[in-house]
Amino acid sequence: MFELLDIAIESAVHSGAKYADARILISKSRNISAKNGEIENFNESERIGIGIRALVGSSWGFYSTFDLSTDSLVNSGKQAFNIAKASSKVSGKDIPFADVPVVQDTYTTPHDENPFRMSSSEQIDLLINSTEEMKKLGSSRSFGRLDFWDTEKWFSSSQGHKIFQNIIESGGGISSLSIGDGETQIRSYPQSFGEYRTGGWEVIKSFDFGQHTARLAEESQRLLVSPQCPEGKMDLILEGSQLALQIHESVGHAIELDRILGWEAAYAGTSHLELNKLNKHRYGSELMNIVADATLPGALATFKYDDEGTPAQRVDIVKEGVWTGVLSGRDSAAIAGVKPGGMVRADGFGRLPMVRMTNVGLLPGNSSLKEIIEATDNGIYMETNRSWSIDDLRLNFQFGCEVGWIVKNGKISDMVKNPTYTGITPKFWGSLDMLADENEWVFWGTPNCGKGQPSQIGHTGHPASPARFRDIRIGVRG
Amino acid sequence: MKVWSKFLQDIQKVIPNSVECEVKMMHSKSALTRFANSQIHQNVDEESVEVYLTVHSNDKTATLSKNLTAIKNPSEFYQEAINVVGNSPVDENWAGLAEKKLEFQGIKELKQSTPEERAIAVEEFISHGKQMNSAGYCSTETSNYFIWNTNELSSADSSSNAFIDGIFRTETSAGSSHRGGVSLEELDISSAGLEASKLAQDSQNPVNIEPGNYEVILGHEAVSTILVFLSVYGFNAKSKIDGMSPIKLGEQQFDEKINLLDTPEDSKSIGFKIDASGALKSNMKVVENGIPQSYFQTRRTSKELGMDNTHHELFGWGENFGGIGTNLVLQNGNTDFDSMISNVKRGIYINEFWYCRVLDPITQVVTGLNRNGSFLIENGKITKPVGRLRFTQSFISSLSPGNVLAIGDYIRYADSEFGEGILQVPKLHLKEFNFTGGVSG
Repeated sequence: MFELLDIAIESAVHSGAKYADARILISKSRNISAKNGEIENFNESERIGIGIRALVGSSWGFYSTFDLSTDSLVNSGKQAFNIAKASSKVSGKDIPFADVPVVQDTYTTPHDENPFRMSSSEQIDLLINSTEEMKKLGSSRSFGRLDFWDTEKWFSSSQGHKIFQNIIESGGGISSLSIGDGETQIRSYPQSFGEYRTGGWEVIKSFDFGQHTARLAEESQRLLVSPQCPEGKMDLILEGSQLALQIHESVGHAIELDRILGWEAAYAGTSHLELNKLNKHRYGSELMNIVADATLPGALATFKYDDEGTPAQRVDIVKEGVWTGVLSGRDSAAIAGVKPGGMVRADGFGRLPMVRMTNVGLLPGNSSLKEIIEATDNGIYMETNRSWSIDDLRLNFQFGCEVGWIVKNGKISDMVKNPTYTGITPKFWGSLDMLADENEWVFWGTPNCGKGQPSQIGHTGHPASPARFRDIRIGVRG
Repeated sequence: MKVWSKFLQDIQKVIPNSVECEVKMMHSKSALTRFANSQIHQNVDEESVEVYLTVHSNDKTATLSKNLTAIKNPSEFYQEAINVVGNSPVDENWAGLAEKKLEFQGIKELKQSTPEERAIAVEEFISHGKQMNSAGYCSTETSNYFIWNTNELSSADSSSNAFIDGIFRTETSAGSSHRGGVSLEELDISSAGLEASKLAQDSQNPVNIEPGNYEVILGHEAVSTILVFLSVYGFNAKSKIDGMSPIKLGEQQFDEKINLLDTPEDSKSIGFKIDASGALKSNMKVVENGIPQSYFQTRRTSKELGMDNTHHELFGWGENFGGIGTNLVLQNGNTDFDSMISNVKRGIYINEFWYCRVLDPITQVVTGLNRNGSFLIENGKITKPVGRLRFTQSFISSLSPGNVLAIGDYIRYADSEFGEGILQVPKLHLKEFNFTGGVSG
């Protein structure tokens, strides 16, 4: 495959590109969904193709095709150059490009059992049994899904990189939906939309769906007759997967350097962060320590090199509440004057690589969820995301969860439905005052992060443990 | 066309009479020129050929999809599908293949834009606000879709689209606009640039206002997002099956001024005239005088609900997503924008919504924010720009009887939370809309 990449890269450079790189991918996916004890969808897919990008002046030109014939590869290199050159009609300053070590290397996700090399019957049976069980236990509808990806990726650059990586990702989840009089309530496990990690079938086995079906069915039905979440201000305790999404939306996107530089302004938005406040801006309380770490074994955004050939690494993002780092690529890092973070990835061969979250997580504290609850006089504990919305500066957010539990005088009491909370990013993170320790620290994964034009779906990780935030606005309803 | 004919000939040779089978191929060329900080910074071009093979044998079903390069030969591809079917459970809800009488042939030559043509379009948009920071994109796409099944249905159609979408920004404001059509030549790029530029200039130094219930005038993009939510979560027959649709056919759920159509037969409509199953689509009434008339159905949803198939199956999504209307038109009224404004005693103009999410599927209570141009209206005049507001509002109630005061006299393609080229809408004047938060949360 490296020979094929070189044909396209040489063609781009010969045409006049000052830099070019290319990726050939063989991407396989298997998606299975079930409802009420029956398989609703079984899809397997495979895509093979090349994406080549060329840097000319102030623009990237990118061309992708399924056709790996020699003529097509030569044409691809030329096209990437010509597309970039056409941008000169509306040009700006030349894009700088930071150096990274030129390496030749290979990497495969550590895994026990490749989900594509086993019969799909076991996977299908797991979903049928789980959803059938919840239906029997009174769920109005029961849902389950499993998703697997096996991506072989060859990367070369005009600087001499030659990297092969085989990334294997697995995940899924189950849900129980209960329908009442003019309302629906849902409970999901391990989190809403499923939990995803790098690894094989062993990831799914570790979830042990069977241990959770009865709880989900019971809780979704009990929610229908539970009182509404109260309105007002009180202490908020977030379960780990909800905190993971809070990190994703109010930290992860805000620290993307392409947003900060305005490259995503029209669509995904910008950021409330300004580069001149790096190492000065207070993001949250001293308990807040965020790192972006693409080297965590088993986390969803773990790899050895990003799609620009930059090594995976751990970068401090927030240290004791102070903003210290960004998510960057070789071009954006050079503009901002920071070290390239190895955080550029593309959704398949047909998309231009862009800044993407790696495993952006909140480091654990020194409490436990039990201790947090015992220390809370008047609060609410919320579990499992149900809705999320945040403005394009990543400041004003509102989240809804599947279930809330009133916490009174150090004890969990009543279940409440339709819990929501709202806040402003720095004020919210400034109110963080208790954080569970490494025993409850989970590598939550988000497989559906949308960004870019044309649209790209990214897989991101968010290690988190339960935490408490003080005096938060709760229970906003329409 | 030649690739499809050859592939089809080869795979037909290996499909036995006892197996129901559907073969689809999508050939697309898409390009997108992206600009930010008033310069083109990303420029992409892609050619793809995707093949989908669905096999139904011994009451079991499987779908495999590959791009052309991943298929070693059609015979092997078919055999892989048969192997997968062998591991599958019985498919109780199999609804069969589209019938031959529904077939349609509409393949035609389509011209794809050049990067130079897209750069000229971007330059024109940017020229309307050179003193400001601009960002956005110009995109074009041409596609040919082919489908054959063992009912001997053979359908094919061609489709093209083009969009310009951008914002201008100042230190304290932004304004956006969007235009869509079946070709780049058709887009009024100048009017889009002027519109976005004026919104950005006029909305500088916004004031913060208290949340609460306000009379609102919604711009095209805001209206489009309300309707796309109702389409995906409400009129989608799969939502009905899953017990999560708020739509009740035959009931006066919406104001009588609301007339929503799906218009695949219209020459201005973007997309194929056939659905993913190969069946020819027809124009239909979705809401007539405020009364819902039909869900969007697929083969499977129509079988499960015992209703007629409206042929709204989506390519690539399989059955997971249900049926979606993709040529929606909210019929215009006769009120121009100035008249709408003059009829508001105290209210807000919202150009565009942002990051909308459903809190409750059955009531369609949605939360989201405003952006890219919002203004306070007092005593019939726009008086000042307003800052960030969060709404928490039932989209069903927003269009309920009595809440729609007027419908604009001009419709155009508008972007939406779930994509572009789906909806042509006018502006709307609504009596009440619930804002639950401001800049302070």
